[in-house]
Amino acid sequence: MQKGRNKIAVDYAKCGDGHGVDPRACGICLRICVPAVFLLHQTLGVEDDPKDPRCWRVSPYWTDLCSRCLKCVEACPEKAVTVSW
Amino acid sequence: MKHGAGGKWYLNAEHYSNEIVEKYRLKDFLMEQYRNFEQLPMRKVAGVDGTGLGYKLRMPLVGRLVKRLAENMLHSTRPPTNPFKAEGHIGQVVPLEDAIAILEACAVEPIIEKNCMCRMMSRGIKEACCINFGVMSEIAKELPRFVPEKDKFFLTRAQAVDRFKTHNTKGYIGTIWFGPFPYINNLCSCASPECAGIRPRLDYGVKSIYKAEYIIDFNPDKCTGCKACVAKCQFGAIEYSLSLKRVTVDMKKCWGCGVCRHGCKGKALYLQPREGVPAYKDDY
Repeated sequence: MQKGRNKIAVDYAKCGDGHGVDPRACGICLRICVPAVFLLHQTLGVEDDPKDPRCWRVSPYWTDLCSRCLKCVEACPEKAVTVSW
Repeated sequence: MKHGAGGKWYLNAEHYSNEIVEKYRLKDFLMEQYRNFEQLPMRKVAGVDGTGLGYKLRMPLVGRLVKRLAENMLHSTRPPTNPFKAEGHIGQVVPLEDAIAILEACAVEPIIEKNCMCRMMSRGIKEACCINFGVMSEIAKELPRFVPEKDKFFLTRAQAVDRFKTHNTKGYIGTIWFGPFPYINNLCSCASPECAGIRPRLDYGVKSIYKAEYIIDFNPDKCTGCKACVAKCQFGAIEYSLSLKRVTVDMKKCWGCGVCRHGCKGKALYLQPREGVPAYKDDY
């Protein structure tokens, strides 16, 4: 059994809001994660054009299910994901 | 919610009718909910958001409170008020036979098939496999991200049955959903771990979905040991035993979706009513 919390972070300066990489088009971390820890979602409070890439982000959600394999850190083309514990 | 001998709640045509939509003014509610659907998990419910739900549920006392809050919201039978909460959003696993009965007798036209939101959110893939009825179809039509690019959107009853059969034999679990109570508008073909409805129950023990009205029955003499069913079961209820040279079925883990039957070469697996099995008759 794992001890301690998994600290997973996505750097939004590199992925999604502000940078222009549309997580809906990339989504590599979403598919590589075995327990599907990440969630692709609309940001809160932005009620603009639904096609605007800035409205979409990838966030770690089911963080306690992370198996710490670090595949997402390796796979991210923008090097935006960090995992620590 | 009526289970077992009291009748199956999802075979009641009243829950599908357009009168319910008007009575509870659900059209605007659903439009608002689905326009911002992918925001839903990020919103806080009673000051608690779902991120790292496992940690919150493991906390003493607080964990029990969080679980109760979540279940109260999902099982709510009051008229829904907040479109940003999954109020009264409770579902049940349905095997192929019941799903066909729903599509043939209960579902209100137009029937559509839209992209699965769960798979979109957790894997970033668009796969058309959610069958919607009535008012929900009209709402999905307005939202381009739910409309499949390749597959057919509007379906006839026969086509819907066909599509569902394809998904079910492929291994997706059939589920029927109140969304919100008392209106039934979704017949999904779910996969674990992507499904946001199955995950809370499977990984965290929050009752976000009921097990089916059925449970698996297994005839060991007919089993050929081909192991096809092992790959089909998404709940880990079937295991291959090297010493017995056949599979073993764990009824405790079985949700009664009946997907394993589709792979079985010897017809050794079949469903029986859950109420007929004393140990699991209340395990919905």
